[in-house]
Amino acid sequence: MSKKINKIIQAIFPALLMVSGALLTGAILIIISGNDPIAAYAALLEGAFSNSYRISETFVKAIPLMLMALGVSIAFKNQIWNIGAGGQFTIGTILSVIVCLYFKLPPIPTIILSFIFAFIGGALWGGLAGWLKARFNANEVITTLMLDYIATYLLAYLVYGPMMDPNGFGYPQSAVIEKVLRLPKLIVGGRLHTGIFVAIAILFLMLLFWRSTLGFKIELAGQGNDVSRYAGIDNKKIIVITMLLSGGLSGIAGWNEIHGIHLRLMTDLAGSYGSIAIVIALLGNLNPLGIAISAYFFSVLIVGGNTMQNLTGIPYSLVDIIQGLIVVFVITRTAFRTESIQTFFRKRRYQHNG
Amino acid sequence: MDNIFTATFFVSIFASTIRLATPILLTALGEIYTQRSGILNLGLEGTMTMSAMAGFVCAYFSKNLFIGFLGGIIVGMICSAFMAFLSITVRANQVIAGTALTILGIGFSSFIYRIIFGIQKLPPQVESLTKFDIPLLSSIPYIGTIFFQHNLIVYLAYILAVFSWIVLEKTTFGLNVKAVGEHPRAADSKGINVSKVRYTAVIIGGAFAGLSGAFMSIAYMNSFSDTMIAGRGFIAVAVVVFARWNPLRAMVGSLLFGIASALQIRFQAIGVPIPNQFLLMLPYLVTIIALITVSKKAEFPSAYTKPYSRMER
Amino acid sequence: MRNITKIFGHLKANDAVDFKLRENSIHGLLGENGAGKTTLMNVLYGLYRQEEGEIYIHGQKTDIVSPLKAISSGIGMVHQHFMLARPLTVVENIMLGRKSSRGIFLDTRKVAAEIRELSDRYHLMVDPYARIWQLSVGQQQRVEILTTIYQGANILILDEPTAVLTPQEAETLFSILRQMRDDGKSMILITHKLEEILSVVDDVTILRDGKMISSFKVTPATTKEELSRLMVGRDVLFDFNPAAVKPGKERLGMKDLRVKNDKGLPAVNNFSLSVSEGEIVGLAGVDGNGQKELAEALTGLRPAEGGKIFINGIEAENKPPAFFIHQGVAHIPEDRQNMGLAMGFCVSKNLIIKRFCQQPYAKNGLMNYKNIKNHAQKMIQDFQIKTNSTEDITRDLSGGNQQKVILARELADEPSVLIANQPTRGLDVGATEYVRSRLLEARSKGAAILLISADIEEIIQLSDRIAVIYNGELMGILPKGSQPETIGLLMMGKRQGENTGVKENQ
Repeated sequence: MSKKINKIIQAIFPALLMVSGALLTGAILIIISGNDPIAAYAALLEGAFSNSYRISETFVKAIPLMLMALGVSIAFKNQIWNIGAGGQFTIGTILSVIVCLYFKLPPIPTIILSFIFAFIGGALWGGLAGWLKARFNANEVITTLMLDYIATYLLAYLVYGPMMDPNGFGYPQSAVIEKVLRLPKLIVGGRLHTGIFVAIAILFLMLLFWRSTLGFKIELAGQGNDVSRYAGIDNKKIIVITMLLSGGLSGIAGWNEIHGIHLRLMTDLAGSYGSIAIVIALLGNLNPLGIAISAYFFSVLIVGGNTMQNLTGIPYSLVDIIQGLIVVFVITRTAFRTESIQTFFRKRRYQHNG
Repeated sequence: MDNIFTATFFVSIFASTIRLATPILLTALGEIYTQRSGILNLGLEGTMTMSAMAGFVCAYFSKNLFIGFLGGIIVGMICSAFMAFLSITVRANQVIAGTALTILGIGFSSFIYRIIFGIQKLPPQVESLTKFDIPLLSSIPYIGTIFFQHNLIVYLAYILAVFSWIVLEKTTFGLNVKAVGEHPRAADSKGINVSKVRYTAVIIGGAFAGLSGAFMSIAYMNSFSDTMIAGRGFIAVAVVVFARWNPLRAMVGSLLFGIASALQIRFQAIGVPIPNQFLLMLPYLVTIIALITVSKKAEFPSAYTKPYSRMER
Repeated sequence: MRNITKIFGHLKANDAVDFKLRENSIHGLLGENGAGKTTLMNVLYGLYRQEEGEIYIHGQKTDIVSPLKAISSGIGMVHQHFMLARPLTVVENIMLGRKSSRGIFLDTRKVAAEIRELSDRYHLMVDPYARIWQLSVGQQQRVEILTTIYQGANILILDEPTAVLTPQEAETLFSILRQMRDDGKSMILITHKLEEILSVVDDVTILRDGKMISSFKVTPATTKEELSRLMVGRDVLFDFNPAAVKPGKERLGMKDLRVKNDKGLPAVNNFSLSVSEGEIVGLAGVDGNGQKELAEALTGLRPAEGGKIFINGIEAENKPPAFFIHQGVAHIPEDRQNMGLAMGFCVSKNLIIKRFCQQPYAKNGLMNYKNIKNHAQKMIQDFQIKTNSTEDITRDLSGGNQQKVILARELADEPSVLIANQPTRGLDVGATEYVRSRLLEARSKGAAILLISADIEEIIQLSDRIAVIYNGELMGILPKGSQPETIGLLMMGKRQGENTGVKENQ
C-alpha cells in the first residue's frame, strides 16, 4: 500500500513543483508591478471559493476544459499534435443546437441524439485531420488549426445567417433551446448542472479506455511507426481512430456547454479553450486523473483571476502568464528526461576541453 | 452614377486589400526564414501581440513612431530567441513550445500594458503613421489610389518580399538556411554551424513578426488591445505553407487573405447580405488543399520540426 | 598514418594501425564489418580524434581536428549516405559552406562554369543546375566526388562507393577513378568486395579486428583466395552445435522472391530458399546485400514485388504483419531500438506488444495487467533479464537486456518460424552466448529458424545449412562444417561452383 502511495507522490510531485514554480514566478511579477503577491493570491482564492456560487463556477468551467483536455490527450499519446480542439468543440455545439431546434423530438431522445450528434460532429472534424494525415501525410498541426478557423467561421455564418434568432433583434445568436432540454441545475443560485455527472462518467470511461486494447494500440502507435507496424498494428487506421476519438470528446464538451450553460449558439463559443486544453493535458501528464485535477486547478485560476483583477488591480492576464510558464516548465522537464539537455551539456564540456 | 460608384467601390476594396495583407505578409516572410531552417514557430501570435504592445508603449512615451517600430522589432527578436532556445537548445517539441509562447506573449503584453496604463476610460492613443503618397504615381487614376497611397510600412513589406526572395535564393546566408533545414548533417559536415544558422533564422522571423506587430498598433490602429492580432500570427503560418516557403508566393497568399478581409469589412459596412464568412473561410480551405498537394510532393523542409544533434544518426 | 589507436569505451576499434597511401594511386582498404575501416577513415577525415598516433600528409605532420581541417589539407570524403540536400541544385550543394567570391552573394554562375569544366574533364556528366532529387544514385555519387574535387581535395576517401550502384554504374565509377589517378589524385577505397580490389586498386591494406594485418601492392598474381584468407583468417572453430536433429517438413519457403528497398531499387532478386522444422539455416552476407529487406518481406513489413512466400504451407506474400504474427512467425529485427521495442514502454508491456489482444493478456477488449505482470515476472526469470521490476522502462535497460526482452517475447510462445536478423550484434560476449544457446534451444523445440548474420563465426557455430546472399541474390547453399574461407568467398560475390571445389548441397 505504501508503495502505491509512493508512486502517486512520485507522479504528482513534479506537477506540483512546476505549478509552484509558475506561481512563484507570477509572485515575482506581482512584486515588480508594485503589488503584494500574498494579497493577490488571497484575492484569487477568495474569488474562487468565497461563496457557493463561485465554488460552483470552478466546477462549471472545469467540465469542458477537462473533456477537451481528455480528447487532446488521446491524440498526444499517439504523438499527433491536435491543436484544434476548439474547432471540434465548435462543431459539437452547432450540431447540438441543430438537433435541439429542428429535430422536433421528445425531450429525452433529443438530449441523447444531441449528445450523439455532438460526438460525431467533433469526431468527424478531428477525424478529417487524421484522415488527411494518414492519406496525404498532411501535417496535422496545420490542418487542425485551419479546421479550427473554418469551424469558427461556419459558426459565425450560421448565427449571422440561417440560424439567427428571428426574435433576437439582429444579435448574432441562435434561438434558445427549449427549457426541457436544459440540463437540470444542481444548486440554487449557481450554474452547476448535471452535466458534471456526464463528465465524471467520461472520466471513468477514459480511465477504462487506457486499460483497453484500443487504448494500448494508440499508446503503442505513439511509440513509433516501426515498432507498431512490427507489432501488427495498421498505423493509418489508428491515426484516424485516434483523431476521431480525440475530436469526439471535444464535441461532447460542446454538447455540455450548450445544454448546461449557453443554451444557444453565439459567435466564438470556444474562446481560448483549445489552447488551455493543451496546457491541461500536458500538466496532467496525459493521465485522466491528472487531467481532471489540472482542469480543476486551471478553472480555479480562471474563476479567481477575475476577482483578483477587481480587488487588487492586478491584471487577469497573470493567469495566462502562469499557464504559459507551466507549459514551458513541462516541456523543459520532458526534454530533460529524454536526456537531450544532458547531451547538450556534455557537448559543451567537450567543446571547452577541445 | 451607378458606374462611378462601382469603380470607387473596387478601388477602395483593392486598396484596403493591400493594406490588410501587410501584417500577414510581414509575419509570413519572417516565418519563411524560420521554417526554411527547419523550425516551426507557432508562437507568432504571441510574438506579434508582444511587439504590438512594445511598439505602442515605445511610440507613446517617445512620441516617435520610429522608436516604436524599433521597440517592436527588438521585442519580437527577444520573443523568438526564447522560442529558438526552447526548440534548438532544449530541443523541446516545437508545437508545444509555440503554444506556450503564444499564451505567454498574450499574457505578458496585456499584463505589462495594464501595469503601465492601468484602466482608463479612453484608451491611450498615439498618432498613427500617416499615408505617404508617392509623387506622380499616386495621382494616376485608380492605380494610384490602389497602390501608391499607403503608409511607408506597407511599401516596405512588399519590398521586403522581393528582398527576402533575393536573400534566400542568391546569398550564401540563404543557402545556409535552406541547407540546415533540408540536411543539417550535410551542412554540419561542410563546416556550417547548424544551431547558429537556426538561431539567426528564428530571430529574423521574430524581427519580421515584431515589425508586423508594431504595424498593427501604431500604423494600422493607433492604440493597443491584447486581442488586436486576432489570429494573424496563425494565418501567417498558413500562408507560409500555402506559399510553399517562397516569399513571392507568400505575397499572393497574403493578398488572398487581405481581399477576404477587405470584402468582409465592406460588405458589413454596406449591409450586403452575402455570407462573407465563406469568403473568410476560403483561404483556410485553400491552405488545406495546398497542404495535401504539397505533402504528397514532400516539399516540406526535410528536417522540419526535427532538432539536430551531431550524436544521433 | 602511423600507429593510430581509437578506443570506444573498452573496445579498441583501431589498434596501432599504420596506413600509407602513395601519391597517384588507388588504395583499397579491405576488412570485414567491424574491422575498423570506417573508424580509421573517420579519424583521417577529422570526424573522430585518435587516442594515439600521428597523421602525416605529404610528409608533413598534420593535426586534423575537424572535417574543415581535413578539407583544407586536401582530404575529401564521399560518404555512404550522401550529404546532399535533395531540393537544392547541384551547384548549390557544392557551394555550401564555401566562401563566395562575391561576398555575401552567391557566385552561382562562376561556380557552375567551373563545375561544368571539372565535370567534362573527368567525364562525370553532371548538370550543375539539376536538382538532386532528379538525379540517379550514381549521378548523386558523382556530385559528391565533384564536391570534394572542387574543394581542392587530392586525397579522396570513398566509403563503400559501389554498395549503392548497379554494376554498370560501378564500372563508370572505376573508370572515373582511374582517370583521376592519372590526373595526380590519390584515392582510398573502403570495400569488402574482392573484385574491386583486383580490378581497380594499386595497393591494398587489410584490417581485421582493428589491427593492420597486411599491406601490399596488388599484382596480377594476387588472388581472391589470398585476400579472403587474410581478411577472414581465424583459427579453426570448435563445433558449438553437435546435436543436429533431423529436420522435418518445410515451415518457411521463398520462391523467386523479389523485394525493393526504400529507394525503390531491387534489393532481393529471385530469391528461393526453404527452412524446415527443427533446422537453423544461416544466411551469411555482408551488410546491405538485401538481408533487411528480405527479413521484412518475410514478416509482412515490406511488400513482395514478385515471387512467393510460404508460411506453414500457406501462401503469405503481401499479407499484413498481423497475419504473420498469427501464423507464429517470430522476428528478431536488426533495428531493435526502433522496431523491436517500444523504448518508452515498461518491460512487461514490451513483452506482449504482439499479443496484447489475446487471452490471458486481454479479455473483452480490456487489458489484464495482473496477468501481464505475472507473465513478465516469469519471462524475466526464464530469460535472465536484469531489471529492477517488471515496470522498468525499456530504454533504461542495457543493450543485452533489451535484446533478451525481444528474445523472451519472440520465443515465449514456441514460434513455428523465427527470422533472426543480426541477433547478437553489439552485444557483449556473455549476452551473445546466451542468445545463441536460446536459438539452439528454439530449434530443438521444432522452430524453423532463418539466422541472418554478417558474422561468419556465428553462422558456422549455429547453422545446419549455410546460405549466402550477395547483392540480393542467393550465391549458394553450403553444408554444415564449411570453412570460413569458402563462405567468405561467396559473401564477396563469387558464385558457388565457380572454381571453389565446393559441391552443391541440395
